[in-house]
Amino acid sequence: MKVGFLHSLIRPEEKLLIKEFEKQPNVDLVMLDDRELVFDLRRKVAVDVVLERCINHSRAMHGLRMLESMGVRCVNTAAVAAVCGDKILTSLELFDHGVPQPELRVAFTKESALSAIEELGYPVVLKPAVGSWGRLLAKVNDREAAESILEHKAILGSYHHSIFYVQKYIDKNGRDIRSFVVGDDCIAAIYRSSDHWITNTAQGATATCCPITDDIAEISLRAASAVGGGILAVDLFETPDGLLVNEVNYTMEFRNSVPATGVNIPEKIVSYVVALAQ
Amino acid sequence: MAECPVCGAEVTLASDAVVSELMECPDCGTELEVLELDPPTLGEAPQSEEDWGQ
Repeated sequence: MKVGFLHSLIRPEEKLLIKEFEKQPNVDLVMLDDRELVFDLRRKVAVDVVLERCINHSRAMHGLRMLESMGVRCVNTAAVAAVCGDKILTSLELFDHGVPQPELRVAFTKESALSAIEELGYPVVLKPAVGSWGRLLAKVNDREAAESILEHKAILGSYHHSIFYVQKYIDKNGRDIRSFVVGDDCIAAIYRSSDHWITNTAQGATATCCPITDDIAEISLRAASAVGGGILAVDLFETPDGLLVNEVNYTMEFRNSVPATGVNIPEKIVSYVVALAQ
Repeated sequence: MAECPVCGAEVTLASDAVVSELMECPDCGTELEVLELDPPTLGEAPQSEEDWGQ
């Protein structure tokens, strides 16, 4: 079986996955570096399945779509990448499938965004629709800050920074939950804890094991299903009214989650991909 | 043994290193990418872009 490994830089996650693939007796791993690939739409890439591990969202989304048009089965699918790479599309799918999430508004001008913020009530969080690692998030505590940040985004940012995704701020008490879904199973979860309101591990939050309760498993699987399913990481907020889905990630990082949970996440991913290709 | 392209330090690649792997120069802390294994060659890793990571 030929497994394509769509990648750019090899991070610890990709290294762990490569090692797991090498343990598989019938897998020939074909490395597909997105920095070297040239897609000819008439020429099929000769692999049975592709696992996408690009670091760039845009390359992943378009690369997957072209591979699928050649008839190559991809994990995750291009449709899942398109949804999860865009917070607006993710929120739409969560909403359409009845999955609880923080209240949000989307607006296209500074003026309408300010109205949306005032309607939601302070504080709110402004997020780029496409972005990750907690970068360019802004917690907006009052009208003066809102006016300033909106103007900076509109004038200094590229055009997509004038697509304003406004989320009601959720007091997380210093932590959120990231759960990992592979196929039909919620395989692991971590608490991400930080003194800062941003709790991404890329921003210094620490990872500790989070027991998978029935509620965590249920909302994680529902969120994964809503965006199209596959190999996904679901970010959850704990609130007095229950869990809310903040984001769903389709090329998740897990270097800190394996030691924290004791779950061999790369082995689960590799087994899922190999089973799909068989 | 490879050379850090920033500070010139001699850097030993792990025995299981792979092409495109990220690593850090132990001397200057620069993030590096393994460009070749034979001979061991390192380059500066690309700067992070707006749509990187999850």
